[in-house]
Amino acid sequence: MKNQLLNKLRLGLAVSVAKTVTSLVRILRLGAASVLPGEIASRIQPQLLEKLSSQVVQGMILIAGTNGKTTTSLLLRTMLERKGYRVAHNATGANLLNGLTTALLENTNLFGHLTVDYAILEVDENVLPKVLSSLQPKIILCLNLFRDQLDRYGEVDIINQRWREAIATLPLETIVIPNADDPTLSYLGQHLPQQVLFFGLNEPEQYLDEIPHAVDSIYCPNCGHALIYQGVYLSHLGDFHCPSCGFSKGKLALDSCNWPQILIGLYNKYNTLAAILAAQQLGVDEASIRDTIANFHAAFGRAEELKVSGKQVRILLSKNPVGMNETIRAVQQVSGQTTLLVLNDRIPDGTDVSWIWDVDTEKLVEQGGTLIVSGDRVYDMALRLRYSQNGNCPNNHLQLIIKEDLRDAIATALEQTPDGETLHILPTYSAMLEVREVLTGRKIL
Amino acid sequence: MSTYGDRGNVICLERRLSWRGYEVKVMPLDQSATATDISQVDLLVGGGAQDRQQEIVMRDLKGSKAEALRDRIERGTPGIFTCGAPQLLGHYYEPALGVRITGLGLFDFVSVHPGPNARRCIGNLVIRVTATTLAQELEAITDSTPYLIGFENHGGRTKLGQVEPLGQVLQGLGNNGEDGTEGAVYRNAIATYSHGPLLPKNPFLADWLLQTALTQKYQKPISLAPLDDTLATQAREAMFKRLRVRAG
Repeated sequence: MKNQLLNKLRLGLAVSVAKTVTSLVRILRLGAASVLPGEIASRIQPQLLEKLSSQVVQGMILIAGTNGKTTTSLLLRTMLERKGYRVAHNATGANLLNGLTTALLENTNLFGHLTVDYAILEVDENVLPKVLSSLQPKIILCLNLFRDQLDRYGEVDIINQRWREAIATLPLETIVIPNADDPTLSYLGQHLPQQVLFFGLNEPEQYLDEIPHAVDSIYCPNCGHALIYQGVYLSHLGDFHCPSCGFSKGKLALDSCNWPQILIGLYNKYNTLAAILAAQQLGVDEASIRDTIANFHAAFGRAEELKVSGKQVRILLSKNPVGMNETIRAVQQVSGQTTLLVLNDRIPDGTDVSWIWDVDTEKLVEQGGTLIVSGDRVYDMALRLRYSQNGNCPNNHLQLIIKEDLRDAIATALEQTPDGETLHILPTYSAMLEVREVLTGRKIL
Repeated sequence: MSTYGDRGNVICLERRLSWRGYEVKVMPLDQSATATDISQVDLLVGGGAQDRQQEIVMRDLKGSKAEALRDRIERGTPGIFTCGAPQLLGHYYEPALGVRITGLGLFDFVSVHPGPNARRCIGNLVIRVTATTLAQELEAITDSTPYLIGFENHGGRTKLGQVEPLGQVLQGLGNNGEDGTEGAVYRNAIATYSHGPLLPKNPFLADWLLQTALTQKYQKPISLAPLDDTLATQAREAMFKRLRVRAG
């Protein structure tokens, strides 16, 4: 009894301290308060995440994967909110433990009562096993595993192994929604005791003409033999089978041809399909799902569109080789003629910028037009673009402008964008926040 | 093998040749490559991989294929082996998980991963080239002390035997974070933990590799036409300034 009371007091104290911290951070304009409140409150009540998550009425939905977490979460959240549910969500993309705790704290009253039906939590791929040890989700979405910020973590294989071990220990009624087109996740899904529903594409007309360079798991996750692809949709996502052991992609729970997609870029079709499957499992009707897709607005910096000094601007977060290959493909599809690339190397970006050499920037250079580069590593990006050119002299249909100062770069890029055309901005994560700050005066929401 | 942007080295070498009017063929030495393919190569480039892929590559690199590669390197074919590739050219590599992988033993060194929870060696890397002959030849190209600038990201630690180190670490951890050495040079083959796009930012090293390869191929001294490397120089200066390393 005494212990229980103490625990309750501790929870109340943790919540009230967190709320005070949030107010202070915001009043003093120190940031969005998306991490610190959770950090401090967890020190007061170490089992905070466990205690809060157990109060979520209908259940928790975890979204993991290298790319697409924020967009998929926002789409699913919008579908649920349309049905009148109250949803907690770590909307600013703070996806480490303290960010998750903070998102739940936001919806908790001073007595420690959480007042939401669902919680959608974007979870960093390396933190997922740790999160699963303190909460039991209703649904886990596994979007993809690409090479990203290896300087923080090491390697795709190790992450995949940890996911498998952590998910296998969850209750059998947990629903796992993995991407069937990703061989490592297909393998994961086929070896779990839980209920597994695969999403993926069955649209061969969307195959890439050639397999892109940024491919990391083309060996069979089961036996190590090289996989055979009938076709590739993007990076290593595609229709594949192993000629040695017979392993092939999981059976799709949805026919992708029957569904429209949000925003631009094929990667957003994957995000759309993942959200649809989850929404269906939570009982959202088809009409509401379709209506939400048709009226969807992008999350900050993810194909987000802004109007700045009379010009149309589209920000396409580009934080790793696969992401950037796809954003370049999207720019090509809409024939963008002016593009600003911003490369930073801070902690949220990954301090290693060698990944830009795995991006097929040649495609951007071939297209011509005006390329403006900026960011902490402006010269590394400029060098990458120089080596994307065939001739020793710069192409005459390509104009390359180097601007160390970001404000200067943005102003120049806007000037260079003809009226009626769209300026595309491809920034890394911290660069995206800076770009938004320059364009809108605010970093996040 | 190519992880961590290792393709940057290939792109750099290929472009610097084609800009000068040479015809270049890039041949992937993958599982389908034969010993004959390997014996026809003029310049070798090796990159990094995940531990599992390293093992797959080593399983493939046996018998006549291994002999062909050994023969090329012994005969002085220039090569640049970054990140994980050198671990396979030493005596052995012990990965974080799994068993010891025997290497080709061309370089007199061994590499050991201290375990999955050990800190990776990660960060910007600056070294002064100390390998005697290479340093002299690079000096002849640049007209100054050769400093290499790169980025390291490796779990394994390498201990050198009798082989000559590539250089002395000014910034970063290098082979093992203890003895201040980085990389190794054997004949004209260079091993380094500085992964991926090492050559674009060190164009004189790229040109040394090309010059050595061409001189061997055509059996006469070849001098390469200069290229405009302003962007590389600016990228180098920006990094030296940020790291507060005085180079030059």
